[in-house]
Amino acid sequence: MAREQMNPTIEKILINIEKVMIGKRNVAELSLIALLAEGHVLLEDVPGVGKTMMVRALAKSVNANFRRIQFTPDLLPSDVTGISIYNPKEMEFEFRPGPLMGNIILADEINRTSPKTQSALLEGMEEASVTIDGVTHRLHKPFFVMATQNPIEYEGTYPLPEAQLDRFLLKMKMGYPEVEEEIEVLNRAQRVPPIEDLYPVIDLEGLIALQKEIKEVYVDDTIKRYIVDIVNQTRRFAGVYLGASPRGSIALMKAAQAYAFMYGRDYVLPDDIQYLAPFVLSHRIILKSEAKFEGITAEEIVNRVIMRIPVPVQRLVK
Amino acid sequence: MKRNLQTFLVYLLGFLLLWEWLRPVEQLTQTDHIEMFVIFILLSFAVAFLKLKRIWQIIVKIWFILFSVHMFHYDTGFFQLGWLTSFLSDLTTNISVIFAFNWMGITNELRTLLFFTLLWLMVYLVNYWLLNRKRIFIFFFMTLIYITVLDTFTLYNASTAIVRTVVVGFAVMGMLTYYRILDKEEVSADSILTHKWMRPLVLMIAFSVIVGIMAPKFEPIWPDPVPYLKAAGNKGGEDANGKGVSKVGYGSDDTQLGGPFIGDDSTVFKTEAKQKNYWKVETKDHYTGKGWIPSTSTTVTVDGDDVIPVLSIPSTVQTREESARLFLFMDYEHLIYPAGIQRVQFERSYTLEIDSPKEKISIFGFNSKPIAPDAYTVEYKIPRYEASDLRETSVVDPGQIDPGFLAQYTQLPENLPERIKELAVSITERETNWFDKAKAIERYFSGSEFRYDQKDVAVPGENDDYVDQFLFDTKVGYCDNFSTSMSVLLRTLGIPTRWVKGYTGGEFQEFSEGDTSKSIYEITNNNAHSWVEVYFPNQGWVPFEPTKGFTNDVSISFTNPDGTPAAVETTAQPAPKPQQNQEKVSTSPTAENQSFSFNGIWLEIKIFFNNNWKMILFVSAIVVGAAGLLYRSRGRWIPNLYLLQFRLRKKDENIGKAYLILLEQLERYGLKRNENQTLRSYARYIDTFFESREMSKLTDRYEEYLYHQKLPEGSWKDSHELWENLIKKTIA
Repeated sequence: MAREQMNPTIEKILINIEKVMIGKRNVAELSLIALLAEGHVLLEDVPGVGKTMMVRALAKSVNANFRRIQFTPDLLPSDVTGISIYNPKEMEFEFRPGPLMGNIILADEINRTSPKTQSALLEGMEEASVTIDGVTHRLHKPFFVMATQNPIEYEGTYPLPEAQLDRFLLKMKMGYPEVEEEIEVLNRAQRVPPIEDLYPVIDLEGLIALQKEIKEVYVDDTIKRYIVDIVNQTRRFAGVYLGASPRGSIALMKAAQAYAFMYGRDYVLPDDIQYLAPFVLSHRIILKSEAKFEGITAEEIVNRVIMRIPVPVQRLVK
Repeated sequence: MKRNLQTFLVYLLGFLLLWEWLRPVEQLTQTDHIEMFVIFILLSFAVAFLKLKRIWQIIVKIWFILFSVHMFHYDTGFFQLGWLTSFLSDLTTNISVIFAFNWMGITNELRTLLFFTLLWLMVYLVNYWLLNRKRIFIFFFMTLIYITVLDTFTLYNASTAIVRTVVVGFAVMGMLTYYRILDKEEVSADSILTHKWMRPLVLMIAFSVIVGIMAPKFEPIWPDPVPYLKAAGNKGGEDANGKGVSKVGYGSDDTQLGGPFIGDDSTVFKTEAKQKNYWKVETKDHYTGKGWIPSTSTTVTVDGDDVIPVLSIPSTVQTREESARLFLFMDYEHLIYPAGIQRVQFERSYTLEIDSPKEKISIFGFNSKPIAPDAYTVEYKIPRYEASDLRETSVVDPGQIDPGFLAQYTQLPENLPERIKELAVSITERETNWFDKAKAIERYFSGSEFRYDQKDVAVPGENDDYVDQFLFDTKVGYCDNFSTSMSVLLRTLGIPTRWVKGYTGGEFQEFSEGDTSKSIYEITNNNAHSWVEVYFPNQGWVPFEPTKGFTNDVSISFTNPDGTPAAVETTAQPAPKPQQNQEKVSTSPTAENQSFSFNGIWLEIKIFFNNNWKMILFVSAIVVGAAGLLYRSRGRWIPNLYLLQFRLRKKDENIGKAYLILLEQLERYGLKRNENQTLRSYARYIDTFFESREMSKLTDRYEEYLYHQKLPEGSWKDSHELWENLIKKTIA
């Protein structure tokens, strides 16, 4: 897509992130897509690859306030959402907002905390509001959660229920940097952390405006048909216990809109769908245990589905 | 596979298919207790379906085999294990028998065990095909071959087995195809999908089976192979007792005449002669009511060069000498000769053995072994009868005809129906002498009520007379019917006749290279024939040809009573005129009967095709060739049409059609787009191929048109240019 003209604002944000993150352009892009499409991201990776750095850079670029929640087994729901505390001075309960009351939130190692706390976070993500002591508190807008999951430790973890996984728009892996990139990381580590030098590209209002614009990106019926065909096929695929839900179709469309917008188009291409489908759909598919034993992954299934569904190259005959 | 109804059905069908292999065994070999073997395969499939642990499967099967062996061969109780030791010792003794290759010495116990082992293996194989490979066609095909071969060569009647096998085979193949497709497409089966497949499958099988059973079945085109092959082994032509369909040709068994036969144009011999004539092999004198047999048999042996003592033409008849050379294509150990045979010249010295009254001449080599010569020359006399001489005989003169001879050649079966004689009398009542009577009867068969046919010919029943059935009931037949009938009719009048077998004159091939006065004629099995010879005192055996559509070249000169020749009429056409062959003869009478218009039209079409087939073939070859060329070069001329078509268009929306045409053209050019490939990546591929950016630019436009439903105004001009360049690249 190199020859495509990127949206200038977005390009600036990406350049900003690249100042602190070496390589990982696609992860930055995908995170930005989720932010623009008003979704959330699940990062599955080991610690120390720069997740926090990236989210902070992102937050700084859009002038959002950044919160971080380190999930531990003893974390309580109120530690996330906030709590009403009796104020003896004013003789009444006063709401103390939790870390969820921010714009961009890094939920680190989400699978280490109890399901109760997990669901408090997930509910917040879904409803864009939290209810404490009968009072509903709206969350800030924009609201973007980047949750991370440690895939190597299984002891003392509470894996997220499959049904809750599809609250995340995208799931991705960060991966280790290339050798050259890692050397550059070392070089930069000798200097002052550059995160302090970052300037916001847009403010929150600008971001919200972008989000609105993205909803206007045109999705042709042929593309919608293509999305539905792909999602449908995941439901019928051998080795799949449960395919992606209609929510998956919506997610794929939204993500594609954001992606098209990012590349300066006001309409979606099948290329966008093909690129995004593994990130959008793979965590929404539950495999049969036979397939798991055979070593087939959900990403592989999605890729195979894409190989099978013909790309629309003609207008629909109505 | 799971343990569900479908798997059960697959197993069941596999069992049924394997069962078909056991069914003939019971009938064809003296195998008792076949039900135990059937139960064994049933059991084997059952344990496989129930997914017992392998060890348990083996234990169950071994127990069953031992139980069966005990049941078949031992009388003591099953649990008194003494029989087991004797069984084991029996097996060990058998091993030495096997190593001695003494196959007949193997005891029944071991045979039983081996048969069980074989079945075990078969069940394992069928299981493997059904469940792992999900392919059964080879086994199904082998089953069909097995059944059909048994049906053909043994007593086993597979007319229901073939239906069963086809139903079971199609069902199991249909099901397995379904599972295979599921696997390949990586789709998990649900009941709706299964029903969608299985219902049409059942309907199709039911439909085809019902149609197969109800549909009219043609008689086999080929004869039953077993008698045919046997006959071929016996140097061809031996009739299979007149039963079934026989093949045309010379055969020596005529005890059961009748029944259809089919043509065979394999060459028997070729002859180089001045003219065509009938070729004799043997004659028969005793009519049984069903066919002909020789009454007696005495043999005379002569040297190859001697005059052959077959005297059908006495010296009182005017003759001329002639010779013909025969080249034999079939190994017949008897002579094929013209009526007036005098001498035979072989390349080596052979002896001849003449069997009278058959007049069949067998050939023997120096060590008295029968020999089939490749070629020989016959010298013979061609008679020229005077009608006046033939007409002289009107009553039997004991001075001229020996009573024994007369009795031999006027023999008739005792139970010959009386109406045959009545018919003979009514045909000949106006004639006074033997010759005119014979001619009257010969003429009688040319009447329109008689029809020549090789297929639709009856075999006389137990109480039917062969001649009677033909003369009064069917009136349809071939040479045997006509000749036998004429012979019998004349015999009822007391005129001595005999029945002659041999060949007609054959087909003219070419003029002889060496001797221009001679021609080459080819005689095939289709020329096998039978006719009648009538005995006239002083004139000998005169041939007659009653068979409709056939003529024998016998010259008889009719003279006025005063002795001057008034008109020479031969009973035959002049020699050079090609004789009608049997095939034409057989079609012409049927053509006469086709009075309705449909057949007429059909005939006309056929005639048209017959007359113009070369032209039709030529024209259609040109058309097909041109169409093929056009199709092959379509990648070159079709795009030019499109270029013209789009040149004049102005609308921006033309890109929709034009782009799809370009995609098609690129595919024809060999740059195929995979279905899952997006236009953009395809365009990049095309551009790297042509080293340009045109396709990507055009694709951008088309993407906008397709996925955005918008186009910049006036974009067609650029797009058209890009498009034209791309199309031209594919033509260049």
